[in-house]
Amino acid sequence: MTLTATSFDWVRALVHKESAIVLQPGKEYLVEARLLPIAREKGLGDVSQFVENVRHRPDADSTRRIVEALTTNETSWFRDGDPFTALTSTVVPSLLAARGPNERLQIWSAACSSGQEPYTIAMLLEDALPDATRRVSITATDLSRAMVERTRAGRFSQLEINRGLPAPMLVRHFTRVGSEWEVSAPLRRIVTAKQCNLAAPLPRMGPFDVVYLRNVLIYFDLPTKQAILRGVRALMRPDGWLFLGAAETTLGVDDSWERVAVGRSSAYRPLKGK
Amino acid sequence: MIDDSKVMRRIVAGILEDLGYEVQQAGHGREGLDVLDGGWVPELVCVDWNMPVMDGLQFVSAVRSNPAWRQVTIMMITSESEHCQIVRALAAGAHEYVIKPFTADAIRDKLALLGLLPQGVVL
Amino acid sequence: MSFGDTGERRRASDGPLLISGLIDEETVRSIAQEAWSALVGECEFLVPQPGELPADPVSAWVEVVGPWTGAVVLTCGRSTAEQLSRELLKEHAPSVLDDEDIEDGLGELANVVGGNVKAVLPGPSVLGLPEVGTAPQARADTVRADLLWRGQSLTISVQGSAGALTDPHENHENEVPL
Repeated sequence: MTLTATSFDWVRALVHKESAIVLQPGKEYLVEARLLPIAREKGLGDVSQFVENVRHRPDADSTRRIVEALTTNETSWFRDGDPFTALTSTVVPSLLAARGPNERLQIWSAACSSGQEPYTIAMLLEDALPDATRRVSITATDLSRAMVERTRAGRFSQLEINRGLPAPMLVRHFTRVGSEWEVSAPLRRIVTAKQCNLAAPLPRMGPFDVVYLRNVLIYFDLPTKQAILRGVRALMRPDGWLFLGAAETTLGVDDSWERVAVGRSSAYRPLKGK
Repeated sequence: MIDDSKVMRRIVAGILEDLGYEVQQAGHGREGLDVLDGGWVPELVCVDWNMPVMDGLQFVSAVRSNPAWRQVTIMMITSESEHCQIVRALAAGAHEYVIKPFTADAIRDKLALLGLLPQGVVL
Repeated sequence: MSFGDTGERRRASDGPLLISGLIDEETVRSIAQEAWSALVGECEFLVPQPGELPADPVSAWVEVVGPWTGAVVLTCGRSTAEQLSRELLKEHAPSVLDDEDIEDGLGELANVVGGNVKAVLPGPSVLGLPEVGTAPQARADTVRADLLWRGQSLTISVQGSAGALTDPHENHENEVPL
């Protein structure tokens, strides 16, 4: 059963409201392909039925999954750009000035998935600092053991390395292995991957100078979001930097952070005395 | 969009048109140069590698050696996927490189890196 | 397997490179699957199962010339090829696809699969332009993936050319020149 015009329009409006994305007419096939697995999971034969159900009785989980299915495909490199370029333009220079010459900067990629985020950071720092392997260490964690393994291996498919990775960085930092691409050994040495459940008491790590906690808080309810932010803060240096996802904020969740503009995005820094 | 495959030209043109671009097509490097010589100088050229008459690498070199076309951004889109091939393309002056097979998302991501993506991402 | 120019140099007495030592069926399938997922559709799968090619198969292939020389050949029924081109073009597909569009689509898929297969093989190699028609005969030096797409047969054959890059010191006295 093909998607009705009403269903398609509803999905378009939802996606536009929740993200910056515009679904054009003619893309019904894309909506059907991306939502079919979710519809099937819910025991429904087709996407139209699923969408109609959600349209009449919206629930947070379904609407979130619809938006996600249409706005993200594979994880990309340099996702949203600024939170990464901000590292070399603003954050790291200010940290290097504040730290001693033998202090290692510690960075945490707190929902590393298959590794694009921690290796994006590693590449930037390797290109910007003459002795990155000595000056920086990156901890990459994920709930999933499989993702932790993927991050450790640093191997990516052709489709994955096509996603937002500048070609000059590809040739500088990757080699081909069979039909895949592998991050260079020095970068794999900078990144340590381990499993971590953000919603559980955090293991002892850090203290971190920079934390990337992007597009993961959205999975949790408010009390858990608050607990996670408290836990993250406890593992950060008092003058550290926290980066959230493009559409995320601590506003209304945790008032112990100060929002700071960095380039065209924002970072959050622990507020003194809170 | 320069490629000897009409199907591939249509696919990429479709992606670019969805983003609000006006797209001209050419079947090989020589035809592409003819379009530029005719005075139609685009912001972006997407070019395949392996084509008859004049291949993509020769096209890239020709464009980059002409000061009148200095503003043109060149992105290769090709099934040539060895490390050394990408190095050659960048050395010849290509700004970006997309390995086939690619998705529409991949093209959009590259355009974002090049600052050529209009505000408000379109699917 | 990791290749590219490793600096290793072969000796004439090493004998010709055999494709079975350079790539396997599963790698060929996974290269094709990436192409299908990206270009044909996210939910389009190539199942590693032999099927039956119809009476009017069409082939598209690209040549690879290098330390290993041969061709990467895609073969399927004409109706399958038409469906493939239609899926490649998505909302831009005309209501009737002509032979040129069908052959172009299959040829481009051969180009994409061939280019990525080439990159797994020892280099440097040159990739030819796609050709369509009756495929060159597969000889002994072949790795072949028999696949099903939407239940229809599709084969991908990585086949070496006979007599390419032979050792000039080999004894040819019993051969009849062409």
